[in-house]
Amino acid sequence: MLRKNLHLSLFLAYNFAMNKRTNEEWLADLRAGGDQQAGALEDLRAIILRGLPYAIAGRLNPNSPESEALVEEVVQETLMRVLEYLDTFEGRSQFTTWAHKIAVRAALTELRRVRWREVPLPEMEMNEEGDASYRELPDSQASPEEQVSRAEMMKRVNRIIMEELTDKQRQALMATMEGFPLEEAAQRLGMNRNALYKLMHDARLRLKKRLEKEGLTPQEVLSVFEQSGK
Amino acid sequence: MKFNQLLQRLFGAKQKKEMKADNSEKMQKVMAMLANTQEVELTCDEVFAVLDQFVEMAARGEDVSQLMPLIQQHLDMCEDCREEYKVLEKIVMNAA
Repeated sequence: MLRKNLHLSLFLAYNFAMNKRTNEEWLADLRAGGDQQAGALEDLRAIILRGLPYAIAGRLNPNSPESEALVEEVVQETLMRVLEYLDTFEGRSQFTTWAHKIAVRAALTELRRVRWREVPLPEMEMNEEGDASYRELPDSQASPEEQVSRAEMMKRVNRIIMEELTDKQRQALMATMEGFPLEEAAQRLGMNRNALYKLMHDARLRLKKRLEKEGLTPQEVLSVFEQSGK
Repeated sequence: MKFNQLLQRLFGAKQKKEMKADNSEKMQKVMAMLANTQEVELTCDEVFAVLDQFVEMAARGEDVSQLMPLIQQHLDMCEDCREEYKVLEKIVMNAA
């Protein structure tokens, strides 16, 4: 055991001195098994650890125990995925960039989960509040005409949303408007992020086409709301 | 659910005085999304598959929005992917 560790240490020192591997060397070492693979994994681990602070910055206190646990979890998960998906690496980037990409996705997924776990997805519930209450809103910057045209445009767009989108699409749209990450919204809606993107793409296309059919462009609708906004 | 009730949910805010800004803001957000919507768009998985390559090209100063417009369009559209792109970009820029 001791001898094996010594051997490994020497191997690591050698690799450190050799600075870095080519893509082919990474692949060969990670596929090799034994000490060769262990050494490559150890090096890769150190590389990923250097990248993760950029994912955590501004999202979690880097010195918190929560952050330490997250880093450890993400590194483990990344190394596992790297081995699992090694055959899909096509060599179109540096191998380490590819590995960082996997780590960043894993880290941000976890950070989003932590950040949003307490926030319920906006529900489509009946609202007892008044009919066109937005009509009554005083907006010192908008003229009465602008307020009326905005209220009417709201109503019109809302009707289009009701008629064109499915419940799930409306729910996803609301979540997006509330700032929910796609990944989190997807999980709550029982699908994956990729599927939700497709669902939302379909929703956007439907709305856009319907607006066109009604002789409206998104820019025209925007202009109604931009006039005195800023 | 009536249209106006959905509207309340979609564009309504908790407090009336906030509502106007909030309504406008959300409406603008939806319309900006629609304005940028294309018939054919890449999905998150398709973008993830080439994100490392895309980031390295950008880091080398290549005109990625010209070379890979579909990736750029997805990044403009998808906050999650854009966030991941930005972090990866920082790593690549600082590790190089």
